Amino acid sequence: MFTQLVWLVPLFPLLGFVINALGFGKWSKTSASIIGIGSVLLSFVSVIFLFMEYSGSGQAQTIKLFDWIVAGDLRIGFSFLVDALTLNMLLIITGIGLLIHIYSSGYMHHDEGFGKFFAYLNLFMFSMLILVLGSNFVMMFIGWEGVGLCSYLLIGYWFKNREYTAAANKAFIMNRIGDLGFLLGIFLIYLHFGSVEYQDVFSSASFFSAGDAAIVAITLLLFVGAMGKSAQIPLYTWLPDAMAGPTPVSALIHAATMVTAGIYMIVRSNVLFSLAPVTLEIILIIGVATAMISAIIALTQNDIKKVLAYSTVSQLGYMFAALGVQAYSTAMFHVTTHAFFKALLFLGAGSVIHAMSGEQNMRFMGGLKKKLPLTYFTMLIGTLAITGFPLLSGFFSKDEILLSVMSHNRIMFILLVITSVLSATYMLRLLFMTFFGQFRGTHEQEHHLHESPPVMTYPLIILAFLSVTGGILGLPHITGVHHVLSDFLQPIFINNTRILPHTPELIAEVAVWILSIATLAVVGHFTYRAYALAETDKHPDISKKSVWYRLSYNKFYVDEIYEKGIVRPVLAISSVLHRWFDQFFIDGIVNGAGQVALLLASILRTVQTGNIGLYVIIMVAGIALTLFIVVFKFLSI
Amino acid sequence: MNSDLSSYFPIALQFILAAGFVGLTMFVTHVVGPNLRTRKKLKPFESGINPSGNARQPFAIKYFLTAILFVLFDVEVIFLYPWAINYRELGVYGILTMVIFLGLLLSGFFYIIRKGALDWDQ
Amino acid sequence: MNVLLTLSIAATLALFFGVLRLKNLATPVIVIGLLASLVFNAMEWNNTTSIFNDMMLYNNFTVAFASVGLFITLILVLFYSELSAKHEFHLPEILAIMLFGTVGGIVLLSFRNMVMLFLGIEILSLSYYVLAGIRKQNVYSNEASLKYFLMGAFSSGFLLMGIALIYGVTASLNLNEIAGYVNNAKGIVPPYFLVGVLLILSALLFKVAAAPFHFWTPDVYDGAPTLITALMSSVGKLYSFGAFVLLFNSCFIPLIADWEVILWIAALLSMSVGNITALYQKSVKRMLAYSSIAHAGYMLLALVGINNLTSGSVLFYALAYALASVVSFVVLYIVRDKKGSYDIASFNGLAQKNRMLAVVFTISMLSLTGIPLTAGFFGKFYIFNSALQSGYYWLTAFAVINSFIGAYYYLKPVVAMFASKSDEEITMPALSNSLLILLGILIILIGALPGFISGVI
Repeated sequence: MFTQLVWLVPLFPLLGFVINALGFGKWSKTSASIIGIGSVLLSFVSVIFLFMEYSGSGQAQTIKLFDWIVAGDLRIGFSFLVDALTLNMLLIITGIGLLIHIYSSGYMHHDEGFGKFFAYLNLFMFSMLILVLGSNFVMMFIGWEGVGLCSYLLIGYWFKNREYTAAANKAFIMNRIGDLGFLLGIFLIYLHFGSVEYQDVFSSASFFSAGDAAIVAITLLLFVGAMGKSAQIPLYTWLPDAMAGPTPVSALIHAATMVTAGIYMIVRSNVLFSLAPVTLEIILIIGVATAMISAIIALTQNDIKKVLAYSTVSQLGYMFAALGVQAYSTAMFHVTTHAFFKALLFLGAGSVIHAMSGEQNMRFMGGLKKKLPLTYFTMLIGTLAITGFPLLSGFFSKDEILLSVMSHNRIMFILLVITSVLSATYMLRLLFMTFFGQFRGTHEQEHHLHESPPVMTYPLIILAFLSVTGGILGLPHITGVHHVLSDFLQPIFINNTRILPHTPELIAEVAVWILSIATLAVVGHFTYRAYALAETDKHPDISKKSVWYRLSYNKFYVDEIYEKGIVRPVLAISSVLHRWFDQFFIDGIVNGAGQVALLLASILRTVQTGNIGLYVIIMVAGIALTLFIVVFKFLSI
Repeated sequence: MNSDLSSYFPIALQFILAAGFVGLTMFVTHVVGPNLRTRKKLKPFESGINPSGNARQPFAIKYFLTAILFVLFDVEVIFLYPWAINYRELGVYGILTMVIFLGLLLSGFFYIIRKGALDWDQ
Repeated sequence: MNVLLTLSIAATLALFFGVLRLKNLATPVIVIGLLASLVFNAMEWNNTTSIFNDMMLYNNFTVAFASVGLFITLILVLFYSELSAKHEFHLPEILAIMLFGTVGGIVLLSFRNMVMLFLGIEILSLSYYVLAGIRKQNVYSNEASLKYFLMGAFSSGFLLMGIALIYGVTASLNLNEIAGYVNNAKGIVPPYFLVGVLLILSALLFKVAAAPFHFWTPDVYDGAPTLITALMSSVGKLYSFGAFVLLFNSCFIPLIADWEVILWIAALLSMSVGNITALYQKSVKRMLAYSSIAHAGYMLLALVGINNLTSGSVLFYALAYALASVVSFVVLYIVRDKKGSYDIASFNGLAQKNRMLAVVFTISMLSLTGIPLTAGFFGKFYIFNSALQSGYYWLTAFAVINSFIGAYYYLKPVVAMFASKSDEEITMPALSNSLLILLGILIILIGALPGFISGVI
């Protein structure tokens, strides 16, 4: 019944966007925040209704509103699909979105563009909801582009800072590389399946055999799209830069929701991906490599948000690793728990930055435990959850990934274990540098330190609660309890005959547990000594550090390599062409630029003013070339 | 459809004849006529005054305007000839058509006069 | 026929009001003429009529293209008479010539005889030559006009030569008879015929400003008055592409193997030259000129693999491009009027001073880039879809890559608008203001609900 009204879910944020955009500058901050938060709240309530109805019936439903794009025999409907996967994403998006909206009303309170901020956030919610609700690839793409645009707008939100706008541009352009892959993938899907509706595509996928070239091409292209949006190697460098946006944006878009869109897309098309073992293998390798490299980079970063950003990239790598071994519901499990604790960590970091009057460098923090007790406590829970402290949510989801990878590929498993040691290290480093030891900031900052207002701390508490209890969704096999999330998601794998049911061995499960607890204990001990007890150097001399430290600190110079290897050559080609066409051809004749130009000019002087004569010559040359092709054709027959 | 090149032969012949006649006459007059090339003779004739300055000077656009308008009306007036020849055969329909045509022509004439295109002193 | 008559009479009347010291009546007459012809045009829907013994044929294709052309012309006439009136002594003449150009354009959309093709192109081009040089005191405007005229005359020569060769082979200028000849020949035609087709093709490529026949475009678009550039790039392109589709769709499909190579080379060149050179431009006007070459390249893509989707996708793209380009040129005109320069720097801080202007301009840039939920996205979508249907995978992939390059330079003025400060106030006259808002809404609306337009033909 209620499912028929599913269009209400994206409609509310859209209305919120329109109202806030029109009223920006005219209405008070209070009314802007009421509209912004209220629209998301209504949307969240609708999702709850949807969820209740779905758990009652267990029936996935497609609701078609109207024929949207018609061209020849191509007919794409504006339609929504409500099934388990969609609901899973909807709950995360609207639930976490709601908390972050509430938090923002406190965090952004001093900002002059308050109404604009809420308008953008609502627009983001709308696009993200369209992305997960659409019942075909084109709808997904529309949402995909929409969230990209919002991300661009929000990263460059403080547009008066040149660097921030550069970061926004970088994110936008890198994402467009990914989008290009996605778009081509959609075209290929349409060519091979004659439709872009999920239902048609997935039900006819069984006609293809595993490893079919078309399927491999499609999945690879889709994966390129996922790479861009979910920040995987080589398209990951935009995400750390995206931290230029306000912190709630980082929490919502660049940690909890948008960046998981790539995972959603692959889980959604799991039927196709399962048919392409090659692609899966590539996904696994790239996922593990991303997880590892970004964890190494995170070890030496000093900006609190940068550490969290690299940590996000690393966690996304974990999820891709899970996808690579066809553990789709495991990946979704980690998406869910990660949304809880990473949103928590970012919001906590926001609270710290708020207290430090905008300072983001951890070397100038320290000893904040006493001043910000609530923030400290919730951050502690978040950190423990991400590092896999037993019985917290991250513990279950991460171990599930490790177990799935172990049964598939031992080398990758070992690399992931090493990565989890690294992530425990940098997360504890962050915690200890920020909250322990002596305060290292200026006197003014110390004076100003204060706990955040309740609108900011309540979301933290709720998220901390979720981070602790989130594991209930997927208790391990050993407990004998059903895996709630996995059972819930079962219907979306109905067309997929190639997923192997796998039950981990008891011994492996226990071994992984012991391994992770042991590493956590060891890492905890050493990082505590290194960062909580020892004095932190405020201005370390990077050049004296080891090669490895410098490599990590400089993010493996990837940005520089991209700059030199891709950006510069493209600009160089552009400049050469500019010189060639504009100055050589157009101005160059008169100015006598170069021998050829002079020669041509001397011939052409008799014709006209030089310029126009050359144009005509080129035109005639073009026509002559055209005719030459005809002659050639006739000669060759 | 005979699209062989040979079907274009008469046209080509006419071209050759036309060009040939012009070329030949010019050639013959140059060769046959007595010619004495002196500096004074090769100078542009300007009523006995020594030419000075560049020949390619800009001059009033009014010349062009008048010339263009003349060509326009001249060419359109040519339409009257075929009508005059077929006057009886075309009958009332012809008269009406010609009235519309001349009306348009006249209104154009009226327009350029009002616009001052023929005002030489302006 | 009614449409052509209405337009001509309205234009002539406007000319006479101009010389009879009734200048204030000229604009209303033109606007009423355009509105009336829009109505007459709509009445021709599903009512195919042949005009002048098969010289022209007014069918649904014509109606669809002509309504877009008339609508955009109407919008531009309104803009011109409000924004430019104070600078303009010759307003009635300019508006009348715009209408005469439209007459030529509609001939181009309905010709069934090669002579009418030539006539249409000449009527259209002559109007544009004059319009490009309408600022008599401005050197650039003069240069634009002269260059356009000289090169246009050249291309007309090629067109005539092509028509003559085709007449030589088929002994007919009628499209149906030429089509009949081509169909009977079963792909084997004499070389003169092919040469004729390719000469016509080259002349049409010149008219749509495709590389390597694009050299006039940057200079002419740059030199001509901005609102005239808007006219040339929006409806000028629409009419020429209409003629292109009409001619090649009706006559030369069986010979596709012979001309498609040229076409896809031209498409490839246009896209690359347009986009890559645009990257480097400092002047927004010149950048838009180069980008119009790139857009011609995209539209050629639909023609390369000509099929039943072609005319629909070309129409949609032309509409999307026309809307966005009118908006961007009008905003550019307003900005330049205030700041005195076409530089990207002129856009600095526009968002603060006139938010409506900035938002509408952003929408048009996003549409030109091809961001979803704008008309431009679906324009590209349909074009690419049409090319893919014909099996041009690599060319489409190349076009997609190119369209992503475009994002870079289209965003530059947008960034400038939002990222910097400015103190100068920019105000807009009421009518232009609401027209711009209307166009912005249209771009979004067509982008949100493309099915209503694309299903038409």
